[in-house]
Amino acid sequence: MKDHLRAVSGQVIAIGVALLMGAIIILMVGESPLRVFMTLLRGAFGDQEKIAGTLLQTTPILICGVAACIGLRGGMFNVGIEGQLFLGGFAAAWVGFAMPLPAGIHTLAALALAVVAGAAWVAIPAYFRARYNTNEVVSTILSNYVAVLLTSYFTIFLFKRPGGWSETPPILATSYLPEIFTFSRLNWGLVIGLVLAVGAALVFRYTKWGYGVTMVGSAPKFAEYGGVNVKRQGFLVLLLSGAVGGLAGGVETLGVHHRFMEGFAPGFGFDGLIAALLANGSPVATIFTALFFGALRNGSLLLEVDTSASREIITVIQALIILSVSAQVLVRKRGDSQAGERRWKF
Amino acid sequence: MEILDKLINVALIAATLRTTAPILLVALGGSFTTKAGIFNIGLEGQMLVGAFFAVLGSIWTGSALAGVACGVAAALVFALIFAVLVVSFKANEVVVGLALNILAGGMTISLMKAIFGTRGSIVGHGIVGLPKVQLPGARDLLGSWAPLISGFTPLVYVAFIAVPLLVVCYNRTRLGLYIRVVGEKPEAAEALGISITRVRYIASLLCGLLAGLAGAHLSLGYITMFTENMSSGRGFMAVAILIFSNGDPLKVLAGCLLFGFADAFSLRLQTFGYPSYLVLTVPYVVALIALFALSYRARPRVIAETLESMRKLLSVDKNTEPGRKNPQ
Repeated sequence: MKDHLRAVSGQVIAIGVALLMGAIIILMVGESPLRVFMTLLRGAFGDQEKIAGTLLQTTPILICGVAACIGLRGGMFNVGIEGQLFLGGFAAAWVGFAMPLPAGIHTLAALALAVVAGAAWVAIPAYFRARYNTNEVVSTILSNYVAVLLTSYFTIFLFKRPGGWSETPPILATSYLPEIFTFSRLNWGLVIGLVLAVGAALVFRYTKWGYGVTMVGSAPKFAEYGGVNVKRQGFLVLLLSGAVGGLAGGVETLGVHHRFMEGFAPGFGFDGLIAALLANGSPVATIFTALFFGALRNGSLLLEVDTSASREIITVIQALIILSVSAQVLVRKRGDSQAGERRWKF
Repeated sequence: MEILDKLINVALIAATLRTTAPILLVALGGSFTTKAGIFNIGLEGQMLVGAFFAVLGSIWTGSALAGVACGVAAALVFALIFAVLVVSFKANEVVVGLALNILAGGMTISLMKAIFGTRGSIVGHGIVGLPKVQLPGARDLLGSWAPLISGFTPLVYVAFIAVPLLVVCYNRTRLGLYIRVVGEKPEAAEALGISITRVRYIASLLCGLLAGLAGAHLSLGYITMFTENMSSGRGFMAVAILIFSNGDPLKVLAGCLLFGFADAFSLRLQTFGYPSYLVLTVPYVVALIALFALSYRARPRVIAETLESMRKLLSVDKNTEPGRKNPQ
């Protein structure tokens, strides 16, 4: 418990340092840091619609975060969640507008195809990572660019809505993810995200497979000695991570946009990865870090309106948070002796 | 007709050299960190801030050269942060690199909004681009082939001249040797009294220098403008090249020429009316295929090398395992 407390306090200190540095950058940009932070807060939690908006932004970040957690646990950096999200989003939209099915089944079918699309997109990098040790960071990053361009091509050249902007036809109402409240587009996607996070945590904690994954991530030699097929495990971990990434896209399409369009959901994949890193690969902790980033994102919408700062300032703050968390290692090393089993040694 | 074909070919090769230059510069920069044993995924961000501050410097001073200096300075700052976190604080290089890339993207957009009040891109505002260097006598010497060596902006020449310089550096200078030792056998470096920290700092900063030049070339070279995320993955392609070239300058050059060609070729395809979205994927797909294909190829070699070193180590008789190794 004490370790737990220390880990959390460490992250909080890191966030504090990052906010301080962010304040300096905001000053450089010519805005008042206090005003920017207050606007962010107001934009994120000002009234019930704003809170619902924050939760709406949290949803894809959370699901992508769980995807990243799965990878990190198994010692894999899936930096391609962004691309898996785009393909999953497109796949769900395609089922949504091209395949008339009864309500409920339609939603499930669309989500299922999104999952398959995400997993398929990461399959080649995963295979080469597992079999030939090809660096998965680079291959998944590069495949992001291909995914974004490819889905744009599908949208604009193959399935463009006649007379529309660069978007597909709207999906049928039978495939919608139902909304939770009447005053917001917040939908059951959030519940899916929460269930996934808790489910992933349970799997890692209580199943043999989950234990094996964690072992492969933290001590591959030991895992191999213990009889885990490390290569197969690595492949499956990336595949599963990609599948969840695809699901994030499906949820975004079916719950929020109800169509696929160019520039759909920009940056959620990276936000998810950052949230997972900040949570140190724990799916449950990712719920909170995703909420934090969702609040930043939703707050930044008001930022653009009320201040002269651009909303990308929150990207700067996020990056600073990760940098200061990664630098923490000095602070940590003194106290706990063998906290060195941290898998990706921040 | 024949002459026309030839001209198009010359133009395509010249375009290839032009598009190769930025990726070659950044990949050569990454060669230093790769050789020093650091996996530097932050090249993309260093290049991006280089491009942004080069434009800013060019506007402020009215001189392209000062612009390049500003771009390099900004990239060096990023390289320094990277080195402090990765080398001194021993933070994870992938995490730090990715975070710095994200920081670079957010920071350039925020500053663009703050300074120019616009989103998207900076055009005009008195940006001074780099001049084109016309080599005297090139036309007399090569006739219609002159565009292959003349008429590029200075950084293109810098990029290609840097290749032999790096070869010399790694093979003939003390610094190059130190960098290689630190990368390949850190324990040996330590035993020899080489400061691993200092060598890695130097390698990171040299990397920042070249990445900054690459960025400056992007924004002040052939197009004098800055757009959001204008490095568009070139830094990551450079990392892919570094992985399969292991940072050897000549292999880096070969890889970069391949990407330069893919880039130039895809630009050309676009003018023929192929859907731009598909054409734009070509360089990334080429990078991925090269990465996968070469890692597939590298596998048996690793085993052969291991066998070789084991044989040497155990000084086993040569004819105990004849012909089994050396699959190539």
